[in-house]
Amino acid sequence: MSSVDNVADKDKSKYEWRSFIFITVFLFPILSVVLVGGYGFIVWALQIFFLGPPGHG
Amino acid sequence: MMSFIKKLWGTFWRPAVHISLGILTLGGFVAGVIFWGGFNTALEITNTEKFCIGCHEMKDNVYKELQTTVHWSNNAGVRATCPDCHVPHNWTDKIARKMQASKEVFGAIFGTIDTREKFLAKRGELAQHEWKRFASNGSLECKNCHQYESMKWEEMSPLAQSQMKQAAEKDQSCMDCHKGIAHSLPDNMDTSGGMVSQLVSQSQNTSYTEGSNYFSVRYLPMYEDEALTQSGGELNPASEVKVVAVKGNAIQIEINGWRKTKGFGRVISEDFGMNIPTAALSKDAAQNNTLVQKFEEKEDDLTGLPWQRVTVKLWMPKESLVDNVDMIWSETKSAYTTNCSVCHTQPAENHFDANTWPGMFNGMLAFVNLDRDSEALVLKYLQKHSSDFSYSGH
Repeated sequence: MSSVDNVADKDKSKYEWRSFIFITVFLFPILSVVLVGGYGFIVWALQIFFLGPPGHG
Repeated sequence: MMSFIKKLWGTFWRPAVHISLGILTLGGFVAGVIFWGGFNTALEITNTEKFCIGCHEMKDNVYKELQTTVHWSNNAGVRATCPDCHVPHNWTDKIARKMQASKEVFGAIFGTIDTREKFLAKRGELAQHEWKRFASNGSLECKNCHQYESMKWEEMSPLAQSQMKQAAEKDQSCMDCHKGIAHSLPDNMDTSGGMVSQLVSQSQNTSYTEGSNYFSVRYLPMYEDEALTQSGGELNPASEVKVVAVKGNAIQIEINGWRKTKGFGRVISEDFGMNIPTAALSKDAAQNNTLVQKFEEKEDDLTGLPWQRVTVKLWMPKESLVDNVDMIWSETKSAYTTNCSVCHTQPAENHFDANTWPGMFNGMLAFVNLDRDSEALVLKYLQKHSSDFSYSGH
């Protein structure tokens, strides 16, 4: 977390747009897949080692 | 490059100066909707029959089998597809199953079941996975369509009605009885849970000494000669034999029992008047007086049939015998309680006498899947713990 403002004023707009696109198109989607997939793997591992197959639910 | 990344990183943590709040939130919202829709569409595509049969292992094996069943084509025209039964509907369980599918992807890449033979070899194991899953959740996927509350008892056959009403009372798991409803059952399906193979592996530790008694764990061939070339008959499971000689891989055994004297006298029973089969001799062996020693005769009042006490000496290979019959009874007892309490509480072993059990047992065999050895083991367990052998209760 850089408290030092490392972007020149005239470039700020460019960087802001780039950040926005990167976050909404790449970072968050990929992170979502990773998190949901990771959640799935963890539940699966729990089912194998501790919980057994899912019950009535 | 590094400075670009540093500048980008710096921008992430500052409030925006040039882009309005409206654009940022609207953009985030729209992107979120597009993503979530896309994610779910992709997830649901992997939940279609078309996707499942994309692998030839599925298309050529289980899909073909489904097409011969009522879940494919029936008078109501309502059909089930792969995900209806095999993909959990609950979101968490569905996601867990999707991750578990990485195993199937591995199998597809490395060809775990890519030939018919490989598939058939693994069928039992794969079926057990699904049956365990259904047993755990009470066949929830079946009940998504088939609900006990919506069943019209009057339209069922009398047998179906009585069975189904009982099942409805306990909200029973459909797969307890309806295994094989959509795909072929494994060959030699052993609902006794591998009882015979368990006993056979336990028998590997048996040491054979002359003069000691042993018990067979399955049907075993017997021979007239030490070289084990002339067939002398078959020894029944859970039969007691005495070893009189040990010669290399062959043992000479002595069977003490009774047989009915009418006919060839090939079936040796355990005791007078009891239809508990110990062995079935070949015709030659039964009539051979050096192999069969005859003793006293007695007539059974109940049937009017004459019986004779005999001692039979034959040879057999050193295998599948244990020295303690309780090893066999503990396996058969759990097989009996597991298999015979699915629909009703099973009768006490001593509720019937030894000669009544075969009739009772045979009448119920249609409701389970036991191989020949397991059937004989469980029946003999019941006979040997029947009222003829029990001091308590009945």
